[in-house]
Amino acid sequence: MKRREFLQTSGLLMGGLAVGGLPGPAAAEDAPRRGGTLIWGHSETTQNLDIHQTGTASTLRLLQNVHDTIVTVDHSFKVLPNVAESFDVSQDLLTYTFRLRPGVKFHTGAAVTSADVVYSFERVKDPKTGAVNFDVFKDVAGIEAPDPGTVIVKMKQPFAPFLARLAELGAGAILPKDSGDIQGKAPVGCGPFKFVSREFGNKVELTGFADYWQGAPYLDGVLSHEVTEETVRLTGLQTGQFHLINDIPMDRVAKVKQDPKLQVLSWFPLCWDFLNFNHAKKPFDDPRVRKALDLMVDKDALMQGALWGQGVVTGSPSFPTSASYDANIKPRKQDFEAAAALLKEAGFGPGQLQFTFKVTTNYPYHVQAAQIMQAWFEQGGVKATTQQLTWADWLSQCWVHRDFEVTMMNFFTLWEPDFLYYTLWNSTGAFNYRNIKDSTIDDLTEKARRSTDPAGRAAIYKQVQQRIQDETHDVILWFRNGTVGARQNVGGLDRLVHPNGSNLMFRNVWLKA
Amino acid sequence: MSYLARRLALFVITLLLITVVTFLITLVLPGDVATMILGTRSDPATLAALREKLGLNQALIVQYGHWMGRALSGDLGVSLIFKEPIALLLGQKIAASTLLVVMSLIFALAAAVPLGVWSAVHRDRWQDTVGSGIALAGISLPDFFWGIVLILFVARWLDWLPASGYASPVENLPLALKYALLPSITLALSLMAHLTRMTRSAMLEVLGQDFVRVCRAKGLAWGAVIFRHALRNAVMPVLTVAGLQLGYLFGSIIVVESLFNFTGMGWLTYQALLNRDMPLVQATVLVIAAVVMMTNLVIDIVYTVLDPRVRLS
Repeated sequence: MKRREFLQTSGLLMGGLAVGGLPGPAAAEDAPRRGGTLIWGHSETTQNLDIHQTGTASTLRLLQNVHDTIVTVDHSFKVLPNVAESFDVSQDLLTYTFRLRPGVKFHTGAAVTSADVVYSFERVKDPKTGAVNFDVFKDVAGIEAPDPGTVIVKMKQPFAPFLARLAELGAGAILPKDSGDIQGKAPVGCGPFKFVSREFGNKVELTGFADYWQGAPYLDGVLSHEVTEETVRLTGLQTGQFHLINDIPMDRVAKVKQDPKLQVLSWFPLCWDFLNFNHAKKPFDDPRVRKALDLMVDKDALMQGALWGQGVVTGSPSFPTSASYDANIKPRKQDFEAAAALLKEAGFGPGQLQFTFKVTTNYPYHVQAAQIMQAWFEQGGVKATTQQLTWADWLSQCWVHRDFEVTMMNFFTLWEPDFLYYTLWNSTGAFNYRNIKDSTIDDLTEKARRSTDPAGRAAIYKQVQQRIQDETHDVILWFRNGTVGARQNVGGLDRLVHPNGSNLMFRNVWLKA
Repeated sequence: MSYLARRLALFVITLLLITVVTFLITLVLPGDVATMILGTRSDPATLAALREKLGLNQALIVQYGHWMGRALSGDLGVSLIFKEPIALLLGQKIAASTLLVVMSLIFALAAAVPLGVWSAVHRDRWQDTVGSGIALAGISLPDFFWGIVLILFVARWLDWLPASGYASPVENLPLALKYALLPSITLALSLMAHLTRMTRSAMLEVLGQDFVRVCRAKGLAWGAVIFRHALRNAVMPVLTVAGLQLGYLFGSIIVVESLFNFTGMGWLTYQALLNRDMPLVQATVLVIAAVVMMTNLVIDIVYTVLDPRVRLS
């Protein structure tokens, strides 16, 4: 895609991508320049570097630059050829044929062949790998390599999301055959940058890969400093220690935008957040109670208060540029009278409903949001006690043991609608930690998964969303903005963010003289 | 020699006990490393497969046995969550933490000795009250409180030093020193307080002795008496205590490093705990414990060399 074309489409579709601080169109026309090492103040500590075994957004954000996937997606989530120069999907969705692009090389210098692809896919599929995207391959019957340039995947039954899920790094990244043992420590792939070294908890060094199949990146390298304290990271950017940082503190974005030395890139969504009820605990099995609590929350005010306006209120959790996004679903307006009436119907007079609201300190804005909501619940005659949990405690109590009454969570990059709706709202869904059991949703999500018609799938998912809203299974709150701050001498920021809204693609970025 | 043999045997037994206690403590913590690795990407099947792979389904005694067996053969294993060899992680982090501890020891001594002398010389006057007051404040308030105060004043308001951060001393010593400054001052404060009181009482004792009066009587200047004669005699026990406290300092780095995001050994221990990464927790705790005990042992031995009146038995 041409640069200008991209800007137009992304501008239209994403609506939220904005680069501030650029002195007009002249700068956007600046020709890319080669050379230089970009110093990046990264917001999180990278963990296990094995792309198959890691699920954390921080590590994926980095590894996006080291690996490349068999197929990819554009901003409208259309699946595009990538390391495979073409692919065929049989009508019955049972056979996928990938033809590999000639001349794609690994960082080792070896050419990418079908044997490597088979190895990579088999490794995700093997339960012994402990792959995060293990589920993508669960309907796969066999993976074959008839010749060095062709890979055929045969399915046991149709699994409509399969191809799109291969655009995700954790499922579709191509690793050199038998490199599994070293990936965790020294990842090797066929992406635009080579991994050089890491000092754990401190920094990671990447160097440009001259033989990258889409051409060498503009940058000689990227040096990532892991600085978890957000104000320190911002100070580093302001003083010129870093060329670029991700995640500007939300309360400081407006001020950073005014700094003539800096530019701010903000986009949505980085992630979306929702309020959860445990349907297996009384009285949260009663839709009237859930709806009453929903009616006490003013979503716009909550977003201003907890996110400092760095987000967009939504009623649909589908990725905003995807076909299944439904703008017609509107969040409920705050209405204490209606809430009180519903609670009374459910058998709760003022002051009679009490519960514990568990939030994790891993997301400080969740703690703030919970405190604001607690005040509204109080106003509505409901006593909520906020309990703050560390990430390990939250995962253990709420996610694994499902021991909570009310909580909230966010998700990154669940843009494939099956991954989103089946795993979160189907009663057998892997991420259904709220114990939701709704046979209508079960039927719909199962139907969509086996459907061969893309438009039909999108329509089904819109029905699912309507059902979630009607039954108040959860309360969808907002899409949260992602932000990147950069010095004025960083070019190409408008192409930095991956369509998934979280990963950063440094091959599109250059340093001006 | 039998003394040394006994001490070494005790050393090994203590380390063993520490590994058992660490292992037991983690039983109380909710969650496990498999949950942490998968986060909100985990479903029951993937979680079960990963637990199986990591050996978390085995009986605890078996898990402990496996770990111990490997550790005894010198293999600390690989961090479950970060996938780095634990020996490598320790190697990368120990230099920075050693720098931190040594710096704080120097700061503590550099402040405590003059302050203690000053207090002793001006006994029961306002100078003594000030000196003792400073010492008392250092003892009675915990490390993290002073850390937060320093971050607020020195980093936020005065903007003299970075509020947090880390650089490897092996690669960039000046930068590492800059980042280590605030955490090492924080770490030094309570030790400084102890040493100030120590110096004061030691000085008072020495100043009351006959030879001091002799020095004064033969016409030596007061300054010369204090620094050349009295302090020399008083400082010995202070140095001993400082040496013993090295171990204490090493134990305090977990809080201070985490507070300042100084990603050394202490921070690594905290990360390992947060992520329920048992092999890494065991290894870091073991190293810190070993360092603490080693310094104590070395100090004891050095003491006999320096002061022949002391006999170890």
